Amino acid sequence: MPTPRPVEGSPTPRPLADPLRSWSSDQLAGLLAARLDLAVPAPADSAQLASRAVVRSSVLRSLEALDTLELAVLEALVELGPTDAAAVGAVVHASGQAVAAALDVLCTRALVWGASDALRPVSMAAELLALPEGPPADEVPALLAELDEQARTILDHLDHTGADGTVADAQRRPTVTGARTPTEALLARRLLVPRDGRQVTLPWTVRLALRGGRSTRHDLSGPPPVATGEREQPLVDRAGAGAAFEFLRRTELLLDRWGTHPPGALRAGGMGVRELRAAAALVHAEQPVAALLVETAAAAGLMAIGMTDDLDAAWLPTDAFDAWQGRAPAERWLVLARAWLASPRLVSAVGGRDASSGPVNALSPGLERGWLPALRRDVLTEIAALPAGHVLAPGTGVASLLERMRWLRPRRPRAHLDVVPALLDEAALLGIAGLHGLSSFGRALVATASTDSAAADPAGALAGLLPEPVDHVLVQADLTAVAPGPLEQQLARKLALVADVESRGGATVYRFAAGSVRRAFDAGWSAADVHDFLRHSSRTPVPQSLSYLVDDVARRFGTVRAGHAASFLRSDDETALTELVHDQGAAGLRLRRVAPTVLVSDVPLDTLLPRLRALGVAPVVEAADGTVHVSRPDVFRAKTPRTRVAPARDEARTAARVSAVVTAIRAGDRAAAERPTRGPVTSPADVMGVLRAAAETGQPVWIGYVDQHGTDSERVVRPLRVEGGRLTAWDERSDEQRSFALHRITRAAAT
Amino acid sequence: MTDPAVAGPLIVQSDKTLLLEVDHEQADEARKAIAPFAELERSPEHIHTYRLTPLGLWNARAAGHDAEQVVDTLLAYSRYAVPHALLVDVAETMARYGRLRLDKHPVHGLVLSSTDRAVLEEVIRAKKVAGMLGDRLDADSVVVHPSERGNLKQALLKLGWPAEDLAGYVDGEAHAIDLVEDGWSLRPYQKEAAESFWHGGSGVVVLPCGAGKTIVGAAAMAHARATTLILVTNTVAARQWKHELVRRTSLTEDEIGEYSGSVKEVRPVTIATYQVMTTRRKGVYSHLELLDARDWGLVVYDEVHLLPAPIFRMTANLQARRRLGLTATLVREDGREGDVFSLIGPKRYDAPWKDIESQGWIAPADCVEVRVTLPEGERIAYATAEPEERYRLASCTFAKTRIAERLVEQHRGEPTLVIGQYLDQLDELADHLGAPVIKGSTTVRERERLFEGFRSGEIDLLVVSKVANFSVDLPEAAVAIQVSGSFGSRQEEAQRLGRLLRPKAGGGTARFYAVVSRDTVDADFAQNRQRFLAEQGYAYRIVDAEDV
Repeated sequence: MPTPRPVEGSPTPRPLADPLRSWSSDQLAGLLAARLDLAVPAPADSAQLASRAVVRSSVLRSLEALDTLELAVLEALVELGPTDAAAVGAVVHASGQAVAAALDVLCTRALVWGASDALRPVSMAAELLALPEGPPADEVPALLAELDEQARTILDHLDHTGADGTVADAQRRPTVTGARTPTEALLARRLLVPRDGRQVTLPWTVRLALRGGRSTRHDLSGPPPVATGEREQPLVDRAGAGAAFEFLRRTELLLDRWGTHPPGALRAGGMGVRELRAAAALVHAEQPVAALLVETAAAAGLMAIGMTDDLDAAWLPTDAFDAWQGRAPAERWLVLARAWLASPRLVSAVGGRDASSGPVNALSPGLERGWLPALRRDVLTEIAALPAGHVLAPGTGVASLLERMRWLRPRRPRAHLDVVPALLDEAALLGIAGLHGLSSFGRALVATASTDSAAADPAGALAGLLPEPVDHVLVQADLTAVAPGPLEQQLARKLALVADVESRGGATVYRFAAGSVRRAFDAGWSAADVHDFLRHSSRTPVPQSLSYLVDDVARRFGTVRAGHAASFLRSDDETALTELVHDQGAAGLRLRRVAPTVLVSDVPLDTLLPRLRALGVAPVVEAADGTVHVSRPDVFRAKTPRTRVAPARDEARTAARVSAVVTAIRAGDRAAAERPTRGPVTSPADVMGVLRAAAETGQPVWIGYVDQHGTDSERVVRPLRVEGGRLTAWDERSDEQRSFALHRITRAAAT
Repeated sequence: MTDPAVAGPLIVQSDKTLLLEVDHEQADEARKAIAPFAELERSPEHIHTYRLTPLGLWNARAAGHDAEQVVDTLLAYSRYAVPHALLVDVAETMARYGRLRLDKHPVHGLVLSSTDRAVLEEVIRAKKVAGMLGDRLDADSVVVHPSERGNLKQALLKLGWPAEDLAGYVDGEAHAIDLVEDGWSLRPYQKEAAESFWHGGSGVVVLPCGAGKTIVGAAAMAHARATTLILVTNTVAARQWKHELVRRTSLTEDEIGEYSGSVKEVRPVTIATYQVMTTRRKGVYSHLELLDARDWGLVVYDEVHLLPAPIFRMTANLQARRRLGLTATLVREDGREGDVFSLIGPKRYDAPWKDIESQGWIAPADCVEVRVTLPEGERIAYATAEPEERYRLASCTFAKTRIAERLVEQHRGEPTLVIGQYLDQLDELADHLGAPVIKGSTTVRERERLFEGFRSGEIDLLVVSKVANFSVDLPEAAVAIQVSGSFGSRQEEAQRLGRLLRPKAGGGTARFYAVVSRDTVDADFAQNRQRFLAEQGYAYRIVDAEDV
């Protein structure tokens, strides 16, 4: 384990409190802004702030926010002890200016304090960063010279990569002469020192010796640049706008569909694989795209779990979706893009497999990663910072971006950066990025998200790039209508009612068919409505064939009417029916005339009949098949009871039962009588002995036996065999051959 | 891009359809630009629908276009941002053609080679291909059994790696064939089509109905100057081919043989029907030897989109001979476009329909659907009839006869055909119209006499049954009135329509009337026809019987 080196110099009980007290308000604000955890809850005074700033968890957090240079400077300070900037600059491989700036950052974050000639790290930082002690600096060259070629290769490798090594047992400390492997030779000379059980690292003095007095091999003055290619911003914007439009369109399509055909929610809360596949098919996209669509819609609050009519849990569009739909396309996009940016959910994991719980479903709980929003912002900010007209170079761009991000946050877990390519894909699907660059509206989005400034207007930047909604379609003689752009919402809804969608994209192709036109009639439109709608929405003359189709459907629509009735009355005598309808006494029967000779009522026949008879009408009842049902009081009959079992059989059964009971009682008596006075043997070996002996002689034995239910019983048995852990014996109590598990026989005695 | 002045005429949909706005000022330009790689699916009046398919893209590759051009074209004419995934897909698909090529090797005969080793490895390991390949020559090439040339191409297409066939052709037995252009001459597009085919080696020429595909075939034969096997759909077509060849080329009747159910002649130019080729006796195709009967220098397939499956199998063994496919559409109702591509060849020529039309070579007929209402009594009879009886009842209503009378009256003086399916209805019609009727039982002499009279103008009205409709020498008419009878497949319908109706001498369009009973199955069939004809760009109107 690394042992913290005591910080030399004057011992101060509260190292930070005093200087903090003298900080200006701006400086304090800077500190709190950089280390947000210090401000919650608000510290009472500088002393409390100081003590909180050196707590392990807080220092760890602030270390994570340091870049490679700042970390190297801090490490140098930890190793060097209180010193001045020049001494630090001498060992850190970076320009003096950069080192000074890094020291400045460390000071403002209260990780380093003290006078300019005796800068010291907070002790917790020293504890966290200190390297295990190696050989004294002046001995190192001699030790290095002793190494053979293999050991030197290992050392050089660790030196060049700057990594830690792993060994089988780092704590073993072989002697120089007893070292058998190159690694042991290094460990014995303390040129490698253990960090913990398996990890070994180069100690500080060795590092300096190997790297010419510097703590790192590479110049740390600045982060590595990102590989870029040239691409004009308008092109990027166009690609981004195309993607943004597509994303919007798909979201709307999906949620619109789910308003009427909602996908079921899994019990665990996610969405089933099949539902997601159906969604992907609906929007003509791959499943990862569909997953992003639903996750983003859910993150934006546009869909949530609700109940269907059948009381099944299902994913339904929310009322926020209705409000959202009414807004301008660019604003709609902004809602989705912001939701994505702030969402902690790892969408790229959907469709993969979780080690513990199998396939990962969309919207399932457990995909939240707290670090994800910050990572998203970091990635996009990095791309936004590329010079104008430049985008990530195709091929090498992403790798170089990762390299740079690793430099900027070296203590970030490596696994976090693994999701960056997926995040970039998602950003491209949303239109935030396009052609490996950031669209102007994506840039504005990132700016508003990080600085909360109202100056940038992402929706405004996008609005001009989205296709204008069109207010007309082109209707053709092959009974299709083509909307040459996104339709205004009202028009789109109406058209979707009258016609089926055949192809989607920038334009939409609708097809009219008898079925689709009938749908409009079902929704309450009249033929005139449909004609009117077509005439107004079509820029071209409505083809004659379509007018004919509408009229054809209209002519057939409603020629047959259906409805509910519980009973009917029919009569060839129209007058009789008229009389009945107008009879005051029949008012409660809710009779309705559907034809001159037919009345219907929603009153059931059982109720209707007596009332009609009371009115003096003498109806004849028809059965369901139309035959006359003769009314005659039903004659009630009970079911003949089953005859009893013949007495003789019953007696035999009783006799048998009785004799069995008697046998059991007798056997019990015998067992009691023959309870050995000597007392039974109880140890397993003795029990076996007694049983074996009895099996040899054929004598009955008395045993105590615990059955499967834990009931202890005593019985007398005549052992036949003892083998395989079981005793086979004649049980006198049940009068049959039985098998007993030996381990359940608690005691035994010869009788 | 939202500025209408610069908005393109093309909308690229994510489902790989392209919508072309016809009235746009750049529409013609865009049409020409996308025609090489996109298949025209529908051409109604305002917006035409094209589709991007792998085959279409490979056809474009075979014709020398590359992915860059296709992507540029889409971007240049597109109104909105083109879906990125689609562009990537286009580039990837097109890159697949030509990675593999079939070459002739001086020592090993036929060799499959590749510029991309991984692709070659992939296909060699494919199970379907295994038996067709011989020894590996080196890392990039492998011997192909000569007999598997066709099957291999088919299999490779199915694997998604279509091979470019550069192995060449045999010349075949030479036979002098020349075009005889007396009183007529090859139209410019026909000449172009024949030449593109000849330079491409083998392949398909796509021309709309009535554009003279037979003459393109004749021109191709004049290029080949070798014995030719022509495969056609039926005997009627066979006789038409013979007639045309005698008229247009130096060939005489004796040089042209017919090989069909009734006649089996093998001559330097032999015309065989699909039907006889696919006849099986005891499970074997008994007429296969025709394919080897002579050393054919050229095989012509008429109406490639109707080519039956067994013919494909036979064609697989004919890969060393030049093959010319003729059709109006590459779309097959059975979806075997891929077999046409791999076995007959890529598309070599495709004339923009509108161009040919605007040059005045073809004129689409004006289609009119006349709707009659069944009288009340017949409606009841129809409603209670068995389903299989209904069509006949709807077709044979007397209301149709009255309409036919009125239509005939309107077009008095123009050559008019009344076409029907049910004989009693035809007799009734002939009675009312006072016109001669031709049906199955009419003697050949009588038939010829009537046709001759019709052609010369002596008779201007004939009532014909469906049987007569198939007849070889059915004269061209300016007006056709169909009272009953549904045609088979939709393509066939359009073709027959094209064959029947030619532009009138005066330049007016021909008329096709279909008399349909309202609210019956008859009208349902009519709806399908209406959709198809509208998609094909025919003008289609509906009128009520009362308004005629």
